[in-house]
Amino acid sequence: MEIHIRTSGHVTILDLNGNLIIGRSEESLRETVRQLIAEERRHLLLNLADVPTIDSSGIGAMIKSFTSVKEVEGKLKVLKPSRMASQLLTITGLMSVLETYDDEGAAISSF
Amino acid sequence: MQRTAQLKIVNRFGVTRHLPLDKNLFTIGRKAENDLQLLSDTVSRQHANIVFENDGYYLVDVGSKRGTYVNDQRIERCALQHLDRLRIGGDDDQQIFFLDESVERASAIFESSPRLTLSPVLQDQHRIASANEELQKLSRFIEVNQAFKFSMTPDDVLCLIVDAAIEITGAERGFLMLRNNETGDLEFKVARDRNRNWVVGNEFSMSRSVVEEAFKQNRSVIINDGQESEKLFERDSMRSLDIRSIACIPLRRFQMSENMDATTILKRDVIGVLYVDSHLVSGSLTQTSLRLLESLAFEATKSLENVRLMHEESEKKQIEQELGMARQVQMALSPTAFISPAHFEIAAQSVPSRYVGGDFYDFMSIKDDRSAIALGDVSGKGFAAALLAAMAQGALQAQFTANLPLTDVIASLNKVLVQRSDSNRFITLFCGVLDRDGHFTYVNAGHNPPILARISGEIETLSTKSVLLGAFDFVEYKTRQTRLLPGDVVVMYTDGVTEAVNTANEMFGEERLERLIQDSVTLTAEQIKQRILDDVLAFTHGLPQGDDITLIVIKMK
Repeated sequence: MEIHIRTSGHVTILDLNGNLIIGRSEESLRETVRQLIAEERRHLLLNLADVPTIDSSGIGAMIKSFTSVKEVEGKLKVLKPSRMASQLLTITGLMSVLETYDDEGAAISSF
Repeated sequence: MQRTAQLKIVNRFGVTRHLPLDKNLFTIGRKAENDLQLLSDTVSRQHANIVFENDGYYLVDVGSKRGTYVNDQRIERCALQHLDRLRIGGDDDQQIFFLDESVERASAIFESSPRLTLSPVLQDQHRIASANEELQKLSRFIEVNQAFKFSMTPDDVLCLIVDAAIEITGAERGFLMLRNNETGDLEFKVARDRNRNWVVGNEFSMSRSVVEEAFKQNRSVIINDGQESEKLFERDSMRSLDIRSIACIPLRRFQMSENMDATTILKRDVIGVLYVDSHLVSGSLTQTSLRLLESLAFEATKSLENVRLMHEESEKKQIEQELGMARQVQMALSPTAFISPAHFEIAAQSVPSRYVGGDFYDFMSIKDDRSAIALGDVSGKGFAAALLAAMAQGALQAQFTANLPLTDVIASLNKVLVQRSDSNRFITLFCGVLDRDGHFTYVNAGHNPPILARISGEIETLSTKSVLLGAFDFVEYKTRQTRLLPGDVVVMYTDGVTEAVNTANEMFGEERLERLIQDSVTLTAEQIKQRILDDVLAFTHGLPQGDDITLIVIKMK
């Protein structure tokens, strides 16, 4: 999985590309978020548009990222999850915790 | 001249990216607009450029704070050569190499010559080409070995490394020493000569001081013509050994921490040294060969690490087998045959996957003729998941025995899990309490919603939209209620059922499960359970599944 980082105002957008599953992809997400927090970037938008599959480890990485950002009084939100990812977020109840958007503009202005 | 170069970027996880240098101006810096963005705060917003001009590529520092380096030399403007190592500011999160494909092509031509034999007087340019070939050969060989899982031991890799090092430098002998993790001392692993024979006995003598310096100072040492060396201690040792030139480079490993928590970063440590020397050739070890040796060392330690991981993997498999047996025991502890309560039937079964998983279920009679039923799935696999499953099962039993209300039971289990386990482990849990008159109170914490098939033919799913356990300490868990009527069936399951795959890589799926239950609603709980398991088994054609398959069926009398 690749992560591309761009910014829009004070929001940092992480464009994920590839499956977010056990192994390097979930590690690199957690590591990237850790780095961003170290750079005092606290408003993160996770763009899942190009993430076909998420497994339980991927969910774990998202939870970890969410809690780390929350600890520094930042926010982590989710953009454009795939149908499969939405289902998983719904079943696991994460939809009630992670704010999810389908429109990038709306997501950015919500921070 | 065509633009044929690229940057090879290897991050600390060993993930490699190639960025083609296909523009006349390629920018590097911390800002997102750069062609290569580096997030380290030691990198300036606009740090350096790679410029393509008529005669080649140049790395140019554009007024950075922390400097730009090529092969550890700070530069303002520097012509780039094949295999140059770039460092941007203090960023050592990744290794960046400059690759020029025209050199790669030269090596490909070289490779096509019938038999590669290197003479000590080999020209530097040829040596670069052959060294490049050696690097490619080595990485190809290791890749092939990994692909076919041949039994390549770490020692085989070490031999390859040393032979490649001798070939690259044209040296006579090569040694490889690794640190003993217990004593911290260096130990000989490989000693070879240029005919690929093992060096034995007294011939082991070498310049200890050079080795010490490379190992302790974590830096490459190159000495040409030892007779002229300024350092007395080196001269003495070298003279007595009659060695004229030495190259010694530390082997560094990007060590991955056992603890998967992202806050423990990867450590970079020296695991050994690679040493080559020669008493015939003087002045043959150039900066170029040293640089090649360094890239060899980098590739080699990475390969070594991969092979080591592979070996650990096979050991781990053995442990997993044992854990699998332990898992069977654990499963046996979960009730399989129930003394059926007066007002409903219950049947349950768990089929552990090849690996140790984390499904668990339990069923308890509690006060006032009520029954508690729980089905959980711990994320991840392996020992930790199985242990956490056992712990959660125990905690649930204790709390129900203490006769606490369901919301309290779930809230306190969540609290314990948040505090006790790292936050990338969590549990999805469905837990319900069934009264004698059919009142069913339940919490669904992120678990696949159980299917309620009414005797009337309707299908409902049992969800409370609550978040999974062990993730957040700030969430509240609410219950819901339904009334089960005589003949109604509830099927609780883990995702191993619906995500069971067949050879066409299709999943069993919720819809198929719902239809099956709907068609089976007149059967007994035990028959329904068996029918679902048989159906899943028939669907998968016995294909080994990655997840445990667990089912609980209750049917109201």
